[in-house]
Amino acid sequence: MGDIYDDKAQVQDAAFAERVAASLRAPEHAHPSFEKRLMEKVLVEGRVLYKTAASTPNNSWWRTEWIIRISPRGGVAIAAGIAAVVALSSIAVGSRISARAPQAAISAQAAPARDTVQVVRFVFVDSGASSVALVGDFNEWTRGSTQLKRSGAPGVWTVSVPLTPGRHEYAFIVDGSRWVADPLAVKSSDDFGTESSVIRIGSAGKSET
Amino acid sequence: MKPTRAVEANCDARDISASHSPVTGTSDAELIAAVLAGDIEAFSGLVRRYQDTCTRFAVRMLGSRVDADDALQSAFMRAFRGLRSCKDPNRFGGWLYQIVINECRTYATRQRRRELRFPPAAEAIERAVAPGSEPEADRDVGGHIERALSMLPTEQREAFLLKHVEEMSYDEMAEMTGVSVPALKMRVKRACDGLRDLLEGVFHG
Repeated sequence: MGDIYDDKAQVQDAAFAERVAASLRAPEHAHPSFEKRLMEKVLVEGRVLYKTAASTPNNSWWRTEWIIRISPRGGVAIAAGIAAVVALSSIAVGSRISARAPQAAISAQAAPARDTVQVVRFVFVDSGASSVALVGDFNEWTRGSTQLKRSGAPGVWTVSVPLTPGRHEYAFIVDGSRWVADPLAVKSSDDFGTESSVIRIGSAGKSET
Repeated sequence: MKPTRAVEANCDARDISASHSPVTGTSDAELIAAVLAGDIEAFSGLVRRYQDTCTRFAVRMLGSRVDADDALQSAFMRAFRGLRSCKDPNRFGGWLYQIVINECRTYATRQRRRELRFPPAAEAIERAVAPGSEPEADRDVGGHIERALSMLPTEQREAFLLKHVEEMSYDEMAEMTGVSVPALKMRVKRACDGLRDLLEGVFHG
């Protein structure tokens, strides 16, 4: 960088930048209601995300029977040896699990969006993979935080993730380095051309890929 | 990690708690442990500790208190949902800051789309009525600076703010943003060049 932006230029810019930045360093305060609004959402989701098994042994989402809605495209995905989001269930946060109803009932749920998370099952099929991870906006694109596990069928990897209503982007990372977008889902490209997949979770329990 | 856009939040990143924390007593790690153990309300301690620091960056980055508030609500929720992935809870501040930076990028992109459809006047009205707004006379130079800043490309504005307002080192910026030090230096230089052009006549001498 030194040949492009030498020390002298940096000093000159620093002097100018200091004049500009001085007023920008003035403290700012969050809106008085910021914490209250945030904590309302935190308390709703936290009951699901960080509820300990010991304190609530019969009400943890991962222990709950939930209805899985298999996408018609799931079979195609398996046959093609590719990834797909194939399942969805819904639970009402802070109450007894209410997702035992069939698909039509899930779609008819009237719970407010902020009170509901959807448990989405991601399935990835690749008989040659030794590890598969899911990354997305829901886990801050953190590699390794959401690992898929082998299911009973050969080459089939799955993981279930609670998602809030709205649009989510995701992709799979195979063997620790290979980035794979779901070829059957809606695509989203960032400014640099990296493709991800899009899933939309409706407030009434519908998923769209 | 999504290599070209979203930066993996890394708890080894800069710890911003020491110099900015208005909340003392319980450590970040203790608050996080409490949340993970089921004491969800403990998260409010982290919110109070970091909301103002993050607000300054978000307001400067987005030029709008409304957008900054939205972006920070989203960023804090992302942090809350991903608390288990914060590998070094004692450095929660740096990890949160990475999330805030990413979220502000997302909102900046939304702003660009919005501005294609709506005239900038709407933003001017919003600023004028926002809490804490100052009389136009008092905002003279500051207003020019904010407007000039808002006209920079997002990546240059971000680099300038991190370097000269948040006063990070280039190494810290690289860790926060996932961008190389040379690229960051170039962005800061271009930001300074752009601001100098935009503010010509505002600063005399």
